[in-house]
Amino acid sequence: MLWVDKYRPKTLDHVMVHNDIAQNLKKLVTEHDCPHLLFYGPSGAGKKTLIMALLRQMFGPGAEKVKVENRAWKVDAGSRSIDLELTTLSSANHIEMTPSDAGFQDRYIVQEIIKEMAKNRPIDTKGKKGFKVLVLNDVDKLSREAQHSLRRTMEKYSAYCRLILCCNSSSRVTEAIRSRCLNVRINAPSQEQIVEVLQFIGKKEGLQLPPNFAARIAEKSNRNLRRAILSFETCRVQQYPFTDKQTISPMDWEEYISEIASDIMKEQSPKRLFQVRGKLYELLINCIPPEIILKRLLYELLRKLDAELKHEICHWAAYYEHRMRLGQKAIFHIEAFVAKFMSVYKSFLIATFG
Amino acid sequence: MPKRNSVIVLSSDEEQETPKTRSYSSTRTKPKPKASSSGSRGRKKARVSSSGPRLSKLHEINLFDDDFNEVFTRSKVFAGTQQNIAEELWVDKYKPHSLEELSVHKKKVEEVKTWFEERLKPSKGVYRNNVLVVSGQAGVGKSAAIHVIASHLGAMVCGWNTPTPVIWQEHLYNSGTATKYTSKLDEFVSFVERIRKYGLIPTSFTGESKPSVIFLIDDLPMMHSKAALGRLKDCLHLLVHTTQIPTAILVTDYGNTDSADYNARSVEELKISLERSGACKVTFNPITVNSIKKFFCVNPDQVHSLSLPTRTPHALKEKSNKPVELDDGSPLYFGRDETVSLFHALGKFLHNKRETGVAAEYDQNGFLMQEIFSRLPLKMDVPEKILSQSHVQPGPVADFLHENVLDFLNDEAVEDAWILSSYLGDSDILLAKLRGMLSSHNEAESILQSAAASIAVRGVLFGNSQPISSRWHAIRRPKLWQVQKESSYHKNEMFRQRIPACNQLSSYHMSVMATEYMPMFKLLGNRVGSAYNELDQESAQNLDMEDFDTDKMSLDGEAMEISDDDIEDW
Repeated sequence: MLWVDKYRPKTLDHVMVHNDIAQNLKKLVTEHDCPHLLFYGPSGAGKKTLIMALLRQMFGPGAEKVKVENRAWKVDAGSRSIDLELTTLSSANHIEMTPSDAGFQDRYIVQEIIKEMAKNRPIDTKGKKGFKVLVLNDVDKLSREAQHSLRRTMEKYSAYCRLILCCNSSSRVTEAIRSRCLNVRINAPSQEQIVEVLQFIGKKEGLQLPPNFAARIAEKSNRNLRRAILSFETCRVQQYPFTDKQTISPMDWEEYISEIASDIMKEQSPKRLFQVRGKLYELLINCIPPEIILKRLLYELLRKLDAELKHEICHWAAYYEHRMRLGQKAIFHIEAFVAKFMSVYKSFLIATFG
Repeated sequence: MPKRNSVIVLSSDEEQETPKTRSYSSTRTKPKPKASSSGSRGRKKARVSSSGPRLSKLHEINLFDDDFNEVFTRSKVFAGTQQNIAEELWVDKYKPHSLEELSVHKKKVEEVKTWFEERLKPSKGVYRNNVLVVSGQAGVGKSAAIHVIASHLGAMVCGWNTPTPVIWQEHLYNSGTATKYTSKLDEFVSFVERIRKYGLIPTSFTGESKPSVIFLIDDLPMMHSKAALGRLKDCLHLLVHTTQIPTAILVTDYGNTDSADYNARSVEELKISLERSGACKVTFNPITVNSIKKFFCVNPDQVHSLSLPTRTPHALKEKSNKPVELDDGSPLYFGRDETVSLFHALGKFLHNKRETGVAAEYDQNGFLMQEIFSRLPLKMDVPEKILSQSHVQPGPVADFLHENVLDFLNDEAVEDAWILSSYLGDSDILLAKLRGMLSSHNEAESILQSAAASIAVRGVLFGNSQPISSRWHAIRRPKLWQVQKESSYHKNEMFRQRIPACNQLSSYHMSVMATEYMPMFKLLGNRVGSAYNELDQESAQNLDMEDFDTDKMSLDGEAMEISDDDIEDW
């Protein structure tokens, strides 16, 4: 088992990073007054961990007995019926799913699953009707229609189920949903906190972890705890007695993007643009999300860029990122950004160096 | 339609004294009993609702409607029964009545005739094959020949009357009444089955001496799919083997030029299979100018009623020549317009040929544009026209342009590249808007689509401000498609991966898997052995290997595969 999974806190009491939030959640559960919840925060901050611990707090260890299912739905949508398939992770008391995987048909999923859950409510030992919990990941990636229907179903069936929503950015979740949930912001752990966690794991594993090295891992991880633990484990595999100077291997796709960035800086021509496109395709083939590619590319470019251009480039990156979300073929927009960058940078070079 | 019909019936009812409308309504209701029934219902309703002042208004509308319907019914009746039209069309009026009048080549007629003669002789059973396939282009006179020969031999032509097809909407309408949907093919198959087993039903001949019968299958049902084609083939094969009645099957050729058309191909296939199962085959050649001339020469007295008596048959031929555009000896073309192939169109857009010279530049009277926005006039049709001629979906057009356009840019023109890709992005956004819509917005959809295509094309034309002098470029197939396929493959792969890998409480999202776990798995490689259980390790390794292999292989393969031929089959 990976350390990430192995040392994931199982209960709210054991949570290391967001202890205050965990205590608040615990209070909510013990008071039997659990509202809908919306967890948001950057990737690797501990949203999932908290949700899992919360479920365990609600339903006891039974919540950990989950099964993975690939379920198919037949949805009646007016004149035609739509077949949908989605993987769900469910226990007796909760179902976890990522409806945005269903693409633009996500709203049917949301409606159907909630209706279905409402139909068969679990009954607890005292004969009291309980409720189920539905965990939805990536709510921010849901389409607007899906969010609206989610809002309606949320109201209609709030007696039968509780929703726990999880997303990176709450700004893409509609106000209507946000206002119906208790918003819980999970911020990224600070570097000190990450070091603390790494030290804890090192102690449990019986490893000698030099503090400087731990600090370097934490710094490299970009305040992403999951990443920090993962790279900690790789470092452990690559070379054990840790040294302060030990190399921390970066992600391959990140290196690739920085390569692309230096390509772009070196030459600005349609031909080069074409080569860059080939490399971007490579990344897309490996399922790196286009948003992350663009973000990382911007980061790499900014590092090498003259200060006076930074503002403009950021503006264009944001512009094309937005268009990418509107559109369908991400490559068109990433490429447009690269072309824009090339054009701006080239005229800048000509202006300064003649 | 039924709605409109009901209104008309109402009018004829209200206005007893106009015989004109009445007659129309009656002709209309005869061939379509269903329409009349719905009409009567409509009448009842209308009676209840219509009051004094509204009646006159209704009446007006109806008069207008009558005009409309006059045209409508006429065309309808023409297509159907041809009973109510006083003057027959010349096509019917001057139908050939004797063997000499046929414009088919004499030899062919003779061939067909002797074939039938042999089979109609009383000494039956000698011939194993009783099926004749007559093929030829539309309008050469296949069915006319069969009819004339039959009447010459004194035989009766029995044919399969194509039933009016049940339209899908109609079926939906009927679906409440539990009638089963039968396609034309179903009906045809059952008909052939009947013929094979029982021959023609004897009650249809009231005479004491049984006349000889020629069985004619005109208009084979359409085949949309392989399965339907196979079924039809089997059915005809059986027919060839077992039928006792001389049978003629008429097959219309669609010219050999466009073998891409699925229907034409399947017809070809049918013909071959029929021959293989032992049917005779006669091909009628296309009509030539001479034979048309001959036709008019043979019947000069029949044409004498033309308003221009001085016109010679030759002039007539000239006239008939024009609308159908026929050259000497060349076949008549029907139903196809000239199309520009996709690659032709793409070539035009990508090469972006423009007029040169200053004279052409400032044509646009009084409409001043900044210099950076003005372009030389295009040396081609309006881009939208080319697009519509090439019959392509806007999505693929954008993909193709995106894939290839950078090759056609000047090496210095990064700015152009940006403008181009921005426009392509615009068209992508427009196309993506479609995705959320349901199919009910058909019109909006098509407008959006054509707008998107237009933006993509014009963006490419506009953006490429300094087109390089044309040289040869192969047009590549969009790599994007390959990329999409592969990334979805990898996604599924990862999906399978993620289930064993995180059999823990949580499931990770795809992006986390792709950006954090997969690279780590790669780094950990096989040294993780003890770290997590074997299943995970195995699959992780597999994935790793597969990952690399497929990447390399498929990309190389793609690079080699790219050729013009390959493009054709997208």
